[in-house]
Amino acid sequence: MLRTQNLQIRRGRKTVLTDITLELKPGEVLGVLGPNGAGKSTLLGALCGELKADHGNIWLDEHELSHWIGALRAQRLAVLPQVSTLDFAFRVEEVVGMGRLPYQSGRVRDDEIVAAALNAADAGHLHGRSYLALSGGERQRIHLARVLAQLWPGEAGQTLLLDEPTSMLDPLHQHTTLQAVREFADRGAAVMVILHDLNLAARYCDRLLLLEGGRPVALDTPERVLRPDRLQAVFGLEVLVQQHPERGHPLIIAR
Amino acid sequence: MRLSTRVAALCVGLLASHHVAATELPQRWVSAGGALSEWVSALGGESKLVGVDTTSQHPEALKALPSIGYQRQLSAEGILSLRPQILVGTEEMGPPPILSQIRNAGVQVELFSAQPDLPALQSNLQHLGKLLGAEDRASKLFESYQQQLDQQKVRVTKAQLSLPSPGVLVLIGHAGGKPLIAGKDTSADWLLQRAGGHNLATHTGYKPFSVESLISLDPQVLVFADRALSGEEARAALFKENPILSSTRAAKDGRVIQLDPTLLVGGLGPRLPDELKKLSDGFFPGTADQ
Amino acid sequence: MTVLVKPRALFIGLSLLCLLAIWLSLALGPVSLPLLDTLRVALRMIGLPIAPDGLEQAELILGQIRLPRTLLGLAVGGVLALSGVAMQGLFRNPLADPGLVGVSSGAALGAAIAIVGGSAFGGLPEAFGPYLLSLCAFLGGLGVTALVYRLGRRNGQTNVATMLLAGIALTALAGSAVGLFTYLADDATLRTLAFWNLGSLNGASYSRLWPLLLISAGVALWLPRRAKALNALLLGESEAGHLGIDVERLKRELVFCTALGVGAAVAAAGMIGFVGLVVPHLVRLLAGPDHRVLLPASVLAGASLLLFADLVARLALAPAELPIGIVTAFIGAPFFLYLLLRGRA
Repeated sequence: MLRTQNLQIRRGRKTVLTDITLELKPGEVLGVLGPNGAGKSTLLGALCGELKADHGNIWLDEHELSHWIGALRAQRLAVLPQVSTLDFAFRVEEVVGMGRLPYQSGRVRDDEIVAAALNAADAGHLHGRSYLALSGGERQRIHLARVLAQLWPGEAGQTLLLDEPTSMLDPLHQHTTLQAVREFADRGAAVMVILHDLNLAARYCDRLLLLEGGRPVALDTPERVLRPDRLQAVFGLEVLVQQHPERGHPLIIAR
Repeated sequence: MRLSTRVAALCVGLLASHHVAATELPQRWVSAGGALSEWVSALGGESKLVGVDTTSQHPEALKALPSIGYQRQLSAEGILSLRPQILVGTEEMGPPPILSQIRNAGVQVELFSAQPDLPALQSNLQHLGKLLGAEDRASKLFESYQQQLDQQKVRVTKAQLSLPSPGVLVLIGHAGGKPLIAGKDTSADWLLQRAGGHNLATHTGYKPFSVESLISLDPQVLVFADRALSGEEARAALFKENPILSSTRAAKDGRVIQLDPTLLVGGLGPRLPDELKKLSDGFFPGTADQ
Repeated sequence: MTVLVKPRALFIGLSLLCLLAIWLSLALGPVSLPLLDTLRVALRMIGLPIAPDGLEQAELILGQIRLPRTLLGLAVGGVLALSGVAMQGLFRNPLADPGLVGVSSGAALGAAIAIVGGSAFGGLPEAFGPYLLSLCAFLGGLGVTALVYRLGRRNGQTNVATMLLAGIALTALAGSAVGLFTYLADDATLRTLAFWNLGSLNGASYSRLWPLLLISAGVALWLPRRAKALNALLLGESEAGHLGIDVERLKRELVFCTALGVGAAVAAAGMIGFVGLVVPHLVRLLAGPDHRVLLPASVLAGASLLLFADLVARLALAPAELPIGIVTAFIGAPFFLYLLLRGRA
């Protein structure tokens, strides 16, 4: 389990993130919300070890995160960044196959997992294509398939961190992506996902963390976090909160 | 033994040794050095040359021979493909591993001094003479060369009694552009001193000058050598690319002398005395027949 | 882009090409040797009992001149191509070239110091000369690369973008230093310097060859083992890190292998350009960017290409020789322009 206590990150003299105490529980999808500059990506960066914390430590299970190295860490923690730059004409399955780097599972098993991960990301039909020939949204799904393959099939003890995985996707694929993430969590993995879309967050996340100016404003279920007064205070947007007619989760409508 | 028998024995011995020496003389020559090629030709060995380097431009016939490239960057296999028996060159010849490869192939490799002085020339000529079987001719050539140089010296000393040594600058250019000035310790400097001139450049080696320096030195005589052009073309190109030269005393007085650039490399060559004479004619006008 | 050639076919094809290049490099040259003689000498060299009569010249030409030259060409071509792949991986850019980390300009500077400085001290003892030149070039290449690497490091991490800029700056600095030496040189050393800058496989000998062979073999055996890690590095440094790769160590290895390999190649044969840039491109065009194929294939392709270039260098102006750097630039530059125009680069 990935957790942190009293995490604080400073950049120069400015405190960009503070007072974060968090546990990513197995089987749970934690959504991170907040306006631009609230510190969401900073939080993700700290949790995956890219940013050094000025205060507070990150633990993965019984050890500090920094003590985990190499393949052992990669088998438990996967990170999908917001943007990926790959300028070489790999084939789709080769890119997804890189997710299997930390393992010695053998060619056959790797190919099976790659295919399954591509299907989960609804990109099975892109098999055999060149990465450079894909659109931005298709590339994003390939990278999702890659991190899914890295933790396939997903189980307790594994953590998946995603930074805005739906930013370039059309409405259908926004849902299929989060559905795949949801299924991962249902199999036992812990997931943290940064989202901009409040409704997607409300539908797919078990808990939400609302950040503003580097501070945690709320950490609770979607029903309790997504309140009109709170949302207006944080986002500056007047909203109505209703219940989804079929599913029951909060539905946020701008006024 | 009777006298006639002795004489007969002596004649037979001489003939025999001469015959033996002749069959041992190398017949296929490759030369890497302009001056050396000229001396070989002067000693009558031109027909034996099967390949020469890029600096061997005289006599004209040599230009038609296969070129072995630049003397410091020779190719072993290239030279061996000409099936030579001997390779001659100055100590500038190289690269060294190539020379050992050529020696290992059974080719005689002879190195000659490139020092521009008479003792070096004498030993070079003696050596060449031996290799060509023209020792007499070699010593005669050297004697006349020495004579010419002595005459040159006398003429210059005499001229310097009545006329001052002119301030000279030697410019080496390529199609007129970006000329380098010859300083001390260059062969150009050696030439102009022997011709009685005074080199206004005090640096060493061949270096480019700023135009201002050229004008401030204001030479009385300009000597120029062009690697690409010759004759009137070269002269025209020099002034076209460097118009500022026209404001020097030398240009205004028409004292601009052309020099053959091939004389500047590889030691003393056969055409040198004539070129020295030409330079002295230009440095001390009116003393030509003294 | 679909892969045009399957790996197995590619390796077979490149191996055959390489063997052809080796054979032509041994069989052809300014001295025309009868084919039968060449065959007999070749068989003798691998130990078969064949009578040596009439083969002296062939043995000399083949054993002392052409064989070391062929080996030199194989090693230099292979290691330059390999370093090109390494640098294109390090900078995650298919336009990268080993010279970006300063190793070529550093080697040129080392050579300039040896050539001009040596003559200033009244010339080096002849036995020393070639070794000192190679050593200075090698140390120059390593020195400048080490400096570039050091400048790119901060807080225990190597910033590739900073390294790139440092490489550009140091290359310019080394270039102006070489310019200064050029100015100070006399005519003779100037020529030597100019020819060294054009590269040549001329004068290859076994005694000077073995350090390069050792280093090339080492680099050629080491880098392909990091093929999967190199693939992941192309995703990005943090992505590769999250996949479990020690990215700092990998970057260090890439810089080190390039410095060693290119430094040794330049020390042995002068500056030969375009091989590190063009060969990886060619192989990618045929077989895709997977380093598991790209690395070994580039070694074969680079070695073959250089041997073919050397054939042109030796035969075009025989009995004189064209510096090989001219040939590789002549072929490489137009090809590179073609790639750019086609939009593949």
